[in-house]
Amino acid sequence: MSISAMPPCQAACPIHTDVRGYVSAIARGDVETAIKIIRQVNPFPSVCGRICTRACESACRRGQVDEPIAIASLKRFAADQTRGMKPPYRTGPYYIEKIAIVGSGPSGLTAAHDLALLGYNVTVFEAHDELGGMMSRGVPEYRLPKKVVMDDIDYILSLGIETKTNMALGRDFTIDELLKDYNAVFLALGSERSVFPKCKGIELPGVITAVEFLKQVGKGERPYIGRDVVVIGGGHTAIDAARTCVRLGAKNVTVIYRRTLKEMPAGKTEVEEAEAEGIRFKYLSAPVEFIGKGRVEKIRCVQMQYVADGSMRRRLVPVENSDFELKADMAIIAIGYKPKADEIKEIEVISGKKGAIVVKDDSGATNIKGVFAGGDVVSGPMSVIDAIASGKRVADAIHRYLRNLPPKEVVEPLVLRPLEERIVSLIVKEMRQKMPTLPIEERINSFKEVNLGFSWEQAVTEAQRCLSCGSGAIVSDECIACFNCVAVCPYGVPTAGEEKAKIDLSQCQACGICAAECPASAIDVKIETKEESKRKLEKAIKKAKEIKQVDFKIAFYCEYEEAFKSSEKTSTEKGVGKPCLARVDVSQLIKPFEEGSAEIEINKCEYSRECRFKGCEEWVKKHVEAARKILKDIGIDENKLKIVTE
Amino acid sequence: MVVAEIKPFNEIKDMVRGYKRLMVLGCGACVSVCFTGGKKQVELLASSLRISNKKDGIDVEISEGILARQCDPRFVEQIKDSVDKYDAILSMGCGAGVQKISEILNIPVLPAMNTMFIGAADNDGNFMEMCRACGDCLLSLTAGICPLTKCPKGLLNGPCGGNKDGMCEVSPDLPCAWVRIYEKLKAMGKLDQLKIIFDPKDWSKTQRPGKFCNKEK
Repeated sequence: MSISAMPPCQAACPIHTDVRGYVSAIARGDVETAIKIIRQVNPFPSVCGRICTRACESACRRGQVDEPIAIASLKRFAADQTRGMKPPYRTGPYYIEKIAIVGSGPSGLTAAHDLALLGYNVTVFEAHDELGGMMSRGVPEYRLPKKVVMDDIDYILSLGIETKTNMALGRDFTIDELLKDYNAVFLALGSERSVFPKCKGIELPGVITAVEFLKQVGKGERPYIGRDVVVIGGGHTAIDAARTCVRLGAKNVTVIYRRTLKEMPAGKTEVEEAEAEGIRFKYLSAPVEFIGKGRVEKIRCVQMQYVADGSMRRRLVPVENSDFELKADMAIIAIGYKPKADEIKEIEVISGKKGAIVVKDDSGATNIKGVFAGGDVVSGPMSVIDAIASGKRVADAIHRYLRNLPPKEVVEPLVLRPLEERIVSLIVKEMRQKMPTLPIEERINSFKEVNLGFSWEQAVTEAQRCLSCGSGAIVSDECIACFNCVAVCPYGVPTAGEEKAKIDLSQCQACGICAAECPASAIDVKIETKEESKRKLEKAIKKAKEIKQVDFKIAFYCEYEEAFKSSEKTSTEKGVGKPCLARVDVSQLIKPFEEGSAEIEINKCEYSRECRFKGCEEWVKKHVEAARKILKDIGIDENKLKIVTE
Repeated sequence: MVVAEIKPFNEIKDMVRGYKRLMVLGCGACVSVCFTGGKKQVELLASSLRISNKKDGIDVEISEGILARQCDPRFVEQIKDSVDKYDAILSMGCGAGVQKISEILNIPVLPAMNTMFIGAADNDGNFMEMCRACGDCLLSLTAGICPLTKCPKGLLNGPCGGNKDGMCEVSPDLPCAWVRIYEKLKAMGKLDQLKIIFDPKDWSKTQRPGKFCNKEK
């Protein structure tokens, strides 16, 4: 496996977030580094930490062992812990070109963020009075508090982005007008036009779209909903609307969905959360007619079934004479959205079927020079992370367009293979941390956020479950083929190759024992390279010498254990932190004595759990014994090097 | 493979006394594989010397280096230009390495190792002597077990009366080479080979110093 192979989580993420990087930072208790890693590619960590569709978690190899890492929850943790952090100082703008972005949803604002960082003057136009698009209008408070959305947006705007709200394309300005003042235009109009079922009575009062309903509630309005509510649809918006109704006091809330739970775009967890709040689900059911005198009173529905149609696919058809009626004081339609670019006269030329804008390729270029489009208005409704990804691609394309650079080459990442069964069976099992939630009584009577976020201890515990895929051992050309690595690996990963040892990076668990034991120093472990390790030790010695020139003390401690102790950043004064103490090799143990150290302590880790690095304790003892023997030979009291318990 | 072990630290310390600029030089061949003279051991020995000097208040500049094979002139010549930076080289190679460097470079070369034998390892990191380099191999007749090396007496026609339950009288942990040869030949169905009586060995073939030229062939 190539050393550049990506962990599956990172490869699955539409913006290739360095998941392993930030999760391992949290595992060491370093939330600042974690958020920096996230923010390198994602300007919406608070939002994605809550409502991301989490392709990364489906791809996570920990899932082969027990359950995937709670990646999104850890992202939320990093964002919540660092709230109020300011972006790095920016000296720009560097370029004179001005860019107009129409739409302030996730794709528009991501492009604004990236272009501002590249050094452009960016202005964002928003048709509504509030920024954020569907993030602030389409997701209810209990799932994504508006304050959280605004936190992310404020951070982006602090890069020096101008915003113009209540400015709608086609109403207040035209593309031609924009092109007079701006060098490039990005249309990120979103996709907010609701799709309606073809039913009689759809025009009855009391039948409302979920978008409209959620928007009203989001603004603080409390529309009449009555006692019985029926929500039609199976996506996130349907569930959001249903759970909102519970909070507004509806007594019977039923979601009807034409397919089964398996096909439901809203995940199983969301359905379970909704059921816990008393919402009922009727699968394989579809509305036929909305009935009522002057206002909707009931909905006639029909049962659906799958029938084989000769091909591989199954067709969904109504079951004959299966009509049933549901009482409804209110019916909420949430069967999907589509873009409405065709409603804007001027863009008709570049809009295709279903109201979406047609683009030439991934760059988002349209057939109007300098005008780009991306996000839902091109793709139809997608997830937030897809919109962010689109915003990033378009921002890059606009930069290339303005700077006359060649188009970006897209290289499909090489991905680490799945874990082999024999490795899976050796990994210590440890189930995923459960997100604490608001008690049911409190949930259904308020719009308070349901998921409360991980505690420090939970986040660190969860992050330490990460297998750090692909950050394991790399064998250099200095390998002398002694195959000691083959003998010492607790997972049996290294094998004897024809000329040198081979270590399959996709299977290596990064314990680093082979590196510490390699007589040719030919193995490096990416989780902490020899160079990093050397620098850390030098820094600690320098620090210790500043305090006490001679007879100073150096302590080694386990970063993973230390991460639990406090939420304060661990300081170098404490000594040398290691990702598991088994990584301290003999030379590191005697090195400080060269500088006149009087004492070296290994703070024995007292993990309550079994260390993921198998047999580490035994290796620590071996290394200490070997180093003590050397000291004794030199004539230095070997008791100056000891394992201590805090 | 040549097996060598590091000399006791005090012996090394006495040897390098007086040199102010010392290069600890490892070898990437045999001694690396037997964990005694590779890059990691160079690091540890250099570190040990620095600590010891610091303790004794002696100021010595200690550098670290490694050659892929100290016994090859083409590798030794690679450090030719930098030797004037040192007063001596402390070699962690086998005796061949020490002598080759000494022959090519104009600098004192000191052995940090005791060269022991030609051997091979088991999977537990034990190295055993396998070959005495007698120059007249008879392994084809002894089931691949060298009686000259594996029998403490080096008996060509064994076993002697000192074997007990298949073990050598020299040590209860040491299997009798000739019992092993017998058992292996039996398993191979070649016991008749035992009927061969070996004549006394022609030791003239190991007349020292040994010499071999690949150009002559």
